[in-house]
Amino acid sequence: MGLLDKLVTLFGLRKQEVKVLVVGLNNSGKTTVLNHFKAEDDKSTEIVPTVGFNIEKFKNQNVGFTALDMSGQGRYRDLWEFYYKDCQGIIFVVDSSDRLRLAVVRHELDLLLQHPDVAGRALPILFLANKMDQRDALSSVKIAAGLGLDRILDKPWHICASNAVTGEGLEEGVTWFTQQVRQVGQPGNRPSRGGPLAAAK
Amino acid sequence: MAFKRDKKEEEDGGGNPFENIEKTSVLQEARAFNDTSVNPRKCTHILTKVLYLLNQGEQLGTTEATEVFFAMTKLFQSKDVVLRRMVYLGIRELSSIAEDVIIVTSSLTKDMTGNEALYRAAAIRALCSITDVTMLQAIERYMKQAIVDKNPAVSSAALVSSLHLARSAGELVKRWVNEAQEAFSSDNVMVQYHALGLMYHIRKTDRLAVIKLVTKLTKQSLKSPFAVCLLIRIACRLLEDEDGAPGADSTLLSFIESCLRHKTELVIYEAAHAMVNLRRTTAKELAPAVSVLQLFCSTSKPPLRFAAVRTLNQVAMSHPSAVTACNLDLENLITDSNRSIATLAITTLLKTGAESSVDRLMKQIASFVSEISDEFKIVVVQAIRALCTKFPRKHSVLMNFLSAMLRDEGGLDYKASIADTIITIIESNPEAKETGLAHLCEFIEDCEHTSLAVRILHLLGREGPKTKQPSRYIRFIYNRVILENAAVRGAAVAAMAQFGAQCPDLHENVQVLLARCQMDSDDEVRDRATYYYTILALKNRSLYNSYITESLQVSIPALERSLHQYTLNATETPFDMKSVPLAAVEPLVSEIVAQKAVPEGTIMSTPAPQRLGVSKEESALELVSSIPEIAALLPQLGPIFRSSEPVELTESETEYVVRCIKHCFARHLLLQFDVLNTLSDQLLENVRVSLEPAEGYRILREVPIPRLPYSESCSAFCLLEFPQDDLSASTGTFGATLAYMVKDCDPATGLPDSDEGYDDTYMVEDVEVTLADQVQRVWKGNWAAAWEEAANLCELEDTYALTSMRTLQEATTNIVQFLGLQPADRSERVPDGKSNHTLYLAGIFRGGHDVLVRAKLALADGVTMQLTVRASTPDVAELVTSAVG
Repeated sequence: MGLLDKLVTLFGLRKQEVKVLVVGLNNSGKTTVLNHFKAEDDKSTEIVPTVGFNIEKFKNQNVGFTALDMSGQGRYRDLWEFYYKDCQGIIFVVDSSDRLRLAVVRHELDLLLQHPDVAGRALPILFLANKMDQRDALSSVKIAAGLGLDRILDKPWHICASNAVTGEGLEEGVTWFTQQVRQVGQPGNRPSRGGPLAAAK
Repeated sequence: MAFKRDKKEEEDGGGNPFENIEKTSVLQEARAFNDTSVNPRKCTHILTKVLYLLNQGEQLGTTEATEVFFAMTKLFQSKDVVLRRMVYLGIRELSSIAEDVIIVTSSLTKDMTGNEALYRAAAIRALCSITDVTMLQAIERYMKQAIVDKNPAVSSAALVSSLHLARSAGELVKRWVNEAQEAFSSDNVMVQYHALGLMYHIRKTDRLAVIKLVTKLTKQSLKSPFAVCLLIRIACRLLEDEDGAPGADSTLLSFIESCLRHKTELVIYEAAHAMVNLRRTTAKELAPAVSVLQLFCSTSKPPLRFAAVRTLNQVAMSHPSAVTACNLDLENLITDSNRSIATLAITTLLKTGAESSVDRLMKQIASFVSEISDEFKIVVVQAIRALCTKFPRKHSVLMNFLSAMLRDEGGLDYKASIADTIITIIESNPEAKETGLAHLCEFIEDCEHTSLAVRILHLLGREGPKTKQPSRYIRFIYNRVILENAAVRGAAVAAMAQFGAQCPDLHENVQVLLARCQMDSDDEVRDRATYYYTILALKNRSLYNSYITESLQVSIPALERSLHQYTLNATETPFDMKSVPLAAVEPLVSEIVAQKAVPEGTIMSTPAPQRLGVSKEESALELVSSIPEIAALLPQLGPIFRSSEPVELTESETEYVVRCIKHCFARHLLLQFDVLNTLSDQLLENVRVSLEPAEGYRILREVPIPRLPYSESCSAFCLLEFPQDDLSASTGTFGATLAYMVKDCDPATGLPDSDEGYDDTYMVEDVEVTLADQVQRVWKGNWAAAWEEAANLCELEDTYALTSMRTLQEATTNIVQFLGLQPADRSERVPDGKSNHTLYLAGIFRGGHDVLVRAKLALADGVTMQLTVRASTPDVAELVTSAVG
């Protein structure tokens, strides 16, 4: 916990690695969101329903993200929980034009929050109210209310409207998310981690 | 093997680094996969340990496997190539044990379509191992692309994986035939080979399509030698099929012949091997193939020499003259530094050589027999067996050699093959019997294999009493009682009893010995001794015959079940042996054919076909008991006496496929009709087979199939009563028609369009009830004794002229099949070149009537037969004689 470390972290010189989980119902746009963050020549031109999961890597403000893009189809949702334990943040993508399934989203969210590997940890959760360009899309405020986000007291969370196809709103969300993740990753907050110096070597 | 490992360890110095790893600690270590930042080197090492454990046969539970599997999925975040490839291997190993393995589908599809060439082929293989039929559609597009990929490794991987998938999802893979076709035109030798494999597999069930494919390809010259080899094999299979299209045959043969001039040795050998192994090759066609093999015999490359000499060895018996032509080259190979080649060369020469050279070759072989492995020793033994049948006069030399081999160290397979050979010699050559038995006696004095000792004791019991001096065997047998384990002691007791029963002058002595055996420490041995002692004490010849000389004729599992049933219901009546179904004796004729199909002297000993533990009648009873309408009647019907082989009542490619199985009871006949609906747009209801029974038969009950959807097979039943007073009316032909109600339905869902249907009928072939359906085969160990005993039963005699038969063997085979009786004393085999022959048959007619038949055959213009039938009732005897006429 030397002064040097603090300085390094403060100036953002030391690169931090975090693992995040991207979840949400099928067809909410998880893979498209991640596709937006990929380098230009890595981008896939066509997005197909994910079976199982995909691992993508991207960087934001000098934080390296390893994102597990989980499949949202009903029969694979049980598989999310295998990855709760060792993630340091969750991105929850919601299709804001799909009013009908908002109740399903809420149910899945409740399951996630009650899971022993998630409950009690101050995991930052970013909600993306995706597909905001659709005509009948709900506003982010309405979605927050619909999902009952005000009940989440022990975790930092943030909701923002987004359009994954154009990338609108994603930057805002990820900037917040990166800050949160970095705070969690601060040396003082993570006593269980080994000395950061060792990692810097 | 052990020696090899030791040597390797010495070289490694440290020995196997994974020797002392434990499952629990490895699983513990595997948790490192969950770390946020992956250490590729460490994880690769751990994964190696996991794979090592799995390959050593360590079993993982489902939870354990799933845990490791999901931890492993997290390694996809690492970009390390070695680690990723290890992950693919891990996925394949765990795919069958862990749950939810489809989780990696997307990750693998990404890798298989990505830019990293090192990932793609392995990802395809891993993907196909985790995919089941339901998920296959999702990856079908990627598979099609991969098959036609430019990269040969990717294309090959996709083709081979498709072959594996075809096992579970044949229909889907069939749709990839165009892609396979395109891959086939690839320049890469492996891709072309694999593509041909897939193309053939897709067409395999359609003979015409295969012929078309092969004829088309034989005209092109293929780049890949492997593909040509496969093509040769496919062509051979087509040629071996009996109903081959006559036009295609000559093209196929000339194709194989042209391959003898191919530029690759691999193809040349394959073609030569195919030629000599074809059952129908003539001597003329054979010559070029043999000369190719002859050339190979003198090359400097050991593998080629080995292949050539091995092939020659295999066909030495079927084409001796062709192989004789190579004798000179084979002589040179006797001293080959490679022992395997030398062994094969010598044994080939033994099979083909003249009688005079036998002594010399045997001496040669004796010089190094101790240096070769058991497998090759078995080849030597088989060669000797062939020699003995060829040169009966040499048996003493060969027998001495065999007994020397018996004394050597060796595994069970090896010893068993020697014992087999000696037994064959004893059976085929009466002169050799005494010496052969003496050698076997000596062998069991010091035999560590219980199963072999038991077999030999049984043989001594059977053959010993018929020799000139039976008493000398008693000592050997009784020694076993003193020295061996319980199983051998039991067999020895049974063998001694045979002597007691068949040699009156030994009776006293055997009784003394058996009395001693009653003191044995083992229950089984004591029981046997008491049993035999008591029977022998009665001094009744017919009792000896039925309880000592003949073995039990009922089926053992059925007996067990009947006894169990009997103990469940407390009754006063004694158990009736007649109520137990008889054991079906496997038709020996088919066995002989099967034996011939196996090429003589193959290196790998072919395992004997496994007999099913459950007989046809047993499984039929199980099926029938599950039908409530029939099961209710079963107590009246009694046990199933005999179930026939299924008979096709339709062609196999018609709208409805109907098969009939005839179950015969003591007084009833149950017909089981298996109906298969092959029309996807029809749902059949109330399906039954309406019969026009022959005179005297009465239909008691019919059980229709309530509902028969597309591609399902169900059974309808019809229960009839045999004609009561006139036994001769029991053979006959029933007209049969399939009657049902049709409902048109949607092929996709199988649901009927409406509730309305219409009645329809469909003609099928007649059902024939023959004598063979009503007779169970029974094996008589001592047919002559049984025949004498039956002298006071009804006897009928008649003479027939079988004009359509050309040879005695043909007539014998037909009579055995027609009467459905069991031949005894190997009389179903007619020795070559004889003009008369006597066939002994035995069986039991339904209702428990013994039937014995003696057929004297004489070959003149056609075959003349004098048939004598002895049966317990005149009706049965008459039925048998009338059945032939």
